[in-house]
Amino acid sequence: MDLDSGPDLDAFRREVAEFLDTAPTDAIREAGRKTTSVFAPFDETMAWHRILARKGWAAPGWPVEHGGVDWTVEQRFVFTEEYCRRDLPPLLPNGLKMIGPLLIDLGTEEQKRRHLPGILAGDDYWTQGYSEPGAGSDLASLSCAAVPDGDDYVITGSKIWTTLAHRANRMFMLVRTSTAGKKQQGITFLLLDRLDLPGLRIRPIVGLDGFPEQCEVFFDEVRVPQSARVGAENDGWTVAKHLLSHERGGSTGSPWLDRFVRMIRAAAAERTSPFGGVLADDPVFQRDLGELEADVASMRHIEELAISGHPIADDPSFPSVNKTVNSELTQRLTTLMARVSGLEGLALQLDALGIGSGTAPLGDDFDLVSMPYYLNSRAASIYAGTNEVQRDLIARSLVAGR
Amino acid sequence: MDFGFTDEQALLRESVTRYLEKNYSFEARRALVRSDRPFSPEVWATFTELGLLGLPFPEGVGGLGGSVVDVVAIAEPFGEHLLVEPYLPTILLAGRALAAAGEHPVARDWLARIVAGDAHGALAHEEGRGTPDPARVATRCRRSGDGYRLDGEKRLVLGAAHADVLVVTARIDDGTGGLALLVVEPGASGVRITPFRTIDGRSAAHVGFDAVEVPAEHCLTTDAHAAITATLADAVVALAAEGVGAMTALLRRTAEYAATRKQFGVPIAGFQAVAHRLADMRIACTKARATLLRTAALAEAGRAAPRDISVLKAQVGRLGRAVGEAAVQTHGGVGTTDELAVGHYLKRLLAIDAMFGDSEYHLRLVGAGTPAV
Repeated sequence: MDLDSGPDLDAFRREVAEFLDTAPTDAIREAGRKTTSVFAPFDETMAWHRILARKGWAAPGWPVEHGGVDWTVEQRFVFTEEYCRRDLPPLLPNGLKMIGPLLIDLGTEEQKRRHLPGILAGDDYWTQGYSEPGAGSDLASLSCAAVPDGDDYVITGSKIWTTLAHRANRMFMLVRTSTAGKKQQGITFLLLDRLDLPGLRIRPIVGLDGFPEQCEVFFDEVRVPQSARVGAENDGWTVAKHLLSHERGGSTGSPWLDRFVRMIRAAAAERTSPFGGVLADDPVFQRDLGELEADVASMRHIEELAISGHPIADDPSFPSVNKTVNSELTQRLTTLMARVSGLEGLALQLDALGIGSGTAPLGDDFDLVSMPYYLNSRAASIYAGTNEVQRDLIARSLVAGR
Repeated sequence: MDFGFTDEQALLRESVTRYLEKNYSFEARRALVRSDRPFSPEVWATFTELGLLGLPFPEGVGGLGGSVVDVVAIAEPFGEHLLVEPYLPTILLAGRALAAAGEHPVARDWLARIVAGDAHGALAHEEGRGTPDPARVATRCRRSGDGYRLDGEKRLVLGAAHADVLVVTARIDDGTGGLALLVVEPGASGVRITPFRTIDGRSAAHVGFDAVEVPAEHCLTTDAHAAITATLADAVVALAAEGVGAMTALLRRTAEYAATRKQFGVPIAGFQAVAHRLADMRIACTKARATLLRTAALAEAGRAAPRDISVLKAQVGRLGRAVGEAAVQTHGGVGTTDELAVGHYLKRLLAIDAMFGDSEYHLRLVGAGTPAV
């Protein structure tokens, strides 16, 4: 085993810290403090994306020839650690972690040339059109139809849980192009390079936290060119599965969870236990926080082993293990946040959560974000394949691999 | 970063695995556990030949200069095969404590015999308070004539019933409050040994010291805090590796069972409640093994903080217990019998959790931000 291969990390850490200390605007920092979702406040986060892109640091996980950064595993963790330590908003994942890597792997040269620069630069935001009202966990029964007509497809149907579609200018989606054979076989993967198309209507959906993060998108004979297809017609399921592997695994998510732990610890040091004394000294609180910290540490170790190429990540169910662990830890951490806030978390403070709203929170920043974060993260075990589906996949691979 | 085993480690691991597969079947182990001495001279002789007894000791004392990762590489197969041989008490506890005491002739003499396979040892340290923290040792040793007089009670001392030498921690009664490390012969006057078997088939004993006279030259040091802490940290890593080995074996056996056991005409793995329990076992095993390998790498580099050791001990204890209980439940009635290995793995994992501070203890240390091991 070897912990210390690679370049001098201290110098690298200083370089990263200096940039992260100076580059973000006040609005970007405010957005970081007020982040209550995987999807941080849109305008400020995209502005921050563009600043990072100009520095060349927007896509550390991408191949260098497509604009990635030539960093070692250790450097990637150092970057993420320093990033999370500063309460900066995480970049929106759809472009950088989903459609970008997918196009790098499976797109045509024309598609790469056309779409990757905008994704990398932070000029475009892509929403994901997968789920439908009748096709959630059973995604393959989707019915939103695309009918070939000349050089075009004509799309009719609807998509739901299209995150921030009302702010998006692009969409990648799955459509039904055939009803013959198995339901997985008639699906096609399409890229929409604009959303202000005739016949396309977007309805924002207000979530449990009070914010319109999700949307429903209606298609009424919407026309898109067939050249917008990724992969072959009726082979979209293969493309989608490839993308899911990007969505579920290979990440450095644990430093973000460490941030929750630090927030909880700091908040508990300033609060009184219902039994008197400081909450941080309460044995039950210590035990519960300790359990979460230990699990966050294990997730960090899983990620480090995976990124360093250890065979533990070769198991076919590894992406599902990763998704399940990450989402459930997020939920358990935000549950403890809401618990620490207690009554203070019950105040509805939508205005104070707005960036630049000027509305001061009733209490501190922790109490402002804890309940919205808890409510928003209820979706973590549902999106990207419910954790029930993930556990099915894990068990199936165990039984098949025995 | 690289968290894989070296070629040498992989080779050693393979030879240990091969040997145990051939000679340490569940039935053979059962016969051993039921005998008067629950370990085997033949296995010990083989371990001597394979170099396992000298593995974690410096070359200066006849060891191989191996690291904690070398020990992890063999301790995982130990756990997979439910090895009951006293490798932990003799080598990793008594032996390492003797080695940590430095250039002391009495320590060196016992260590040489241990490495040669001619002696067994036991570390009498924990006192039944659920913590390995050396600061909590209450056994006292006070000056008496030319030597020391030892009084106190040690609980569940692994290997003590068959040990040739006891290595004992005690609070020194000279005003400094330092931790003494003493070599005591089990037959010495005033040593009370109450032997018993543990639920996981090991030989252990409660050991009382009633005004035991210890010659001055048998006191290895009166400043053993750091040595004991380091010894226990490495022992925790090795014990965690054994736990992960046991978890890995349980996951494999349980998946196999669920895939072949039929009820209502179909394999029970097809039922979602069963499938999801299998998935949770896989998740627990992945977490525990990742933390084991990462912590072992840190320990090898001399950079494992007390918090890292507490996280590892807590995770293997808690997740190991969960995997053991899930395996018994998935096996149904047969899983609750003594006849199947599954229950023996559970009992091993329960013992691993309870030793050196259980998961609740370590989780609270982590949550308090002040781990003490």
